[in-house]
Amino acid sequence: MSETRYKLHPVAAVITFVKGLKDLIFPLVIFLILGNTGGEDGGLFRFIPYVLGGLALLLYLISGIIKWWKYEYWFEDGELRIEYGLIVKKKRYIPFERIQSLDYTESIFHRPFKLVKVKVETAGGGVSGEAEAELTAITLAAADQIKQEMIAAKKKRVKVVDEVEGDSLEEGVDAIQPIELESETESQTSTTRLLHKMKSKDLLLLAATSGGIGIIFSGAAVVLSQFSEFIPYEEIYNEALELFRFGAMFVALLVFAVVLISFLVSVVLTYLQNYGYTVTLDDKELIIQRGLLEKKRTTIPMHRIQGIQLVENPFRQLFGYATIVLDSAGGSVLEKSETVKLVPLMKRTEAVTLLTDLFPEWDWDPEFTRAPKRTRKFYYRINLLLIAIIGAVLGYFFYPYGLLFFLLIPVSVAFDIWNHKASGIAIRDTYLAMQYRFFSRKTVWLAKKRIQAVTLSQSYFEKRADAASIHATIKSGALGSQHSLKAMERDDMQRVMNWYLPNT
Amino acid sequence: MQTGNHLSRKGLTVWRIYGLIQSLILVLIAGGISAFDFFFFGLGWLYIVTISLLVILIVLIIGVLPSLRWKRWRYEVREHEIELQHGLFIVKRTLIPMVRVQHVDTEQGPILRSYNLASIHISTAATSHTIPFLDEIEAESMRRRISELARVAEDDV
Repeated sequence: MSETRYKLHPVAAVITFVKGLKDLIFPLVIFLILGNTGGEDGGLFRFIPYVLGGLALLLYLISGIIKWWKYEYWFEDGELRIEYGLIVKKKRYIPFERIQSLDYTESIFHRPFKLVKVKVETAGGGVSGEAEAELTAITLAAADQIKQEMIAAKKKRVKVVDEVEGDSLEEGVDAIQPIELESETESQTSTTRLLHKMKSKDLLLLAATSGGIGIIFSGAAVVLSQFSEFIPYEEIYNEALELFRFGAMFVALLVFAVVLISFLVSVVLTYLQNYGYTVTLDDKELIIQRGLLEKKRTTIPMHRIQGIQLVENPFRQLFGYATIVLDSAGGSVLEKSETVKLVPLMKRTEAVTLLTDLFPEWDWDPEFTRAPKRTRKFYYRINLLLIAIIGAVLGYFFYPYGLLFFLLIPVSVAFDIWNHKASGIAIRDTYLAMQYRFFSRKTVWLAKKRIQAVTLSQSYFEKRADAASIHATIKSGALGSQHSLKAMERDDMQRVMNWYLPNT
Repeated sequence: MQTGNHLSRKGLTVWRIYGLIQSLILVLIAGGISAFDFFFFGLGWLYIVTISLLVILIVLIIGVLPSLRWKRWRYEVREHEIELQHGLFIVKRTLIPMVRVQHVDTEQGPILRSYNLASIHISTAATSHTIPFLDEIEAESMRRRISELARVAEDDV
């Protein structure tokens, strides 16, 4: 069978090159700095770092072109087949029925050419980590073709399975899947439903309150330190002295300006990334679309959702805002845990409405059984001990200023009592809701059949106070994610254990 | 859980052997500290503190902790679930439903082999649990039993 083989769009070579540049920039700069500290009378050797740097660039460019040149994909036998590599040839065959979703990204490199990056996500059986593929740049038409081929292949598969129904165990398993898929393809047009479109007010608020500031700051610091070679330090020192003559006020203003600018940059970036944020439900799949310059489209099949979290950071909680986060199974082995923000910011009440819309049988605003008052000490005691030890050491060595460390005591106790107050649990027939806080308040809903294991633990002190902790683990990404409640009423936790016992 | 099965009695000995190995490392560290003291400080009290700490730790990890641990460790494999209990200061009790079990492995290192013991690792999609010391034959039959029970218990993940 000779099938037509397709290539990526040539822009893919450029994108690979630019991506490589990103990895290269730090080593390159460090290299240049190291190369230059040798002194000024190095003669011709002075140019060696630059020559090597240039060579590295050239190498990356060539490897980008080779990657594009050698990359081929085609459809055969109900599989997406990919072949790449110059010296080591690699082949990756992905059966269409194992493809969970196709995620599209359009970066600024893609958009002028009407291209798209396609990420093929498979059903997490990836023990080898090989079952994922990325097509760096293909035309929209080609992306659509893959989707059509996938749908066609899945339909065909259903027919085959129908004919030999119940033939073997393996096919029996397959039979469950494609039926689901078929209904998906048939009713595709009719059931696409808009769930949520982010309001521009929410978007602005998200941009203004997102914690990206720190990242940009450290990023700026890193870049500055990397480019230290090009910064004439002596001149700056002299100028700094001048500045001090103008007074500290001026310096403070300068710092403030830097803070303000990085803040504004962060606001703009968040705004651009989340512009036009929409969540749609396409039969059994949630589709998230966002981005102004770089458009992203993420698909989450509903049956892969393992847990749902409502995260409220204190500042946003104050205004009644929350983030909806989904834990999803599968994904590549490399990603340690796969959480997807379903909606980055929305009113909590709206979130409850949205979740009720998605899962009508579940209670999205349950009454929680809280941790008893007597277990407060379990929350603040350890931190108090820590502060006492550190404070004693600091006080001894930096007397008397070290003693100021003890001022943290009321802060720490207040913080921990606050955490204690947020700990709660609600047990329902088929699911469990847990609420806890470490700075941000998290409310998680876990279906009984999605919980992989439950552990009840009791420390010596907890036992004396008739308290216990509970830990529930769900699958998230390739690994698990654990949700814990500390020092709750023992009987309540025992109830969780009884609830979790398989009753068949 | 007071009813579950104990680990193999020979596991206690293996824990003591592990303790012995750890003790050797501790002795080396203590020796290092003492040598440092001898060459640089010559503080008498530091020897005493180091050596008494060493003795206490060795008594703990060879003598006291293994037997406490052994007493605490319980496991029970029932038709629909596996229950484990262990821990010294923090006692942990874990429930793993059969339907969630993905695979079961047995493992036998050189020390375990010489005592005819084996350990069992039970994996779910997100967690992994170990029963450290079982009689070789028992471990083998339990591995079979769990994988059979897990296969019977049908449910979507």
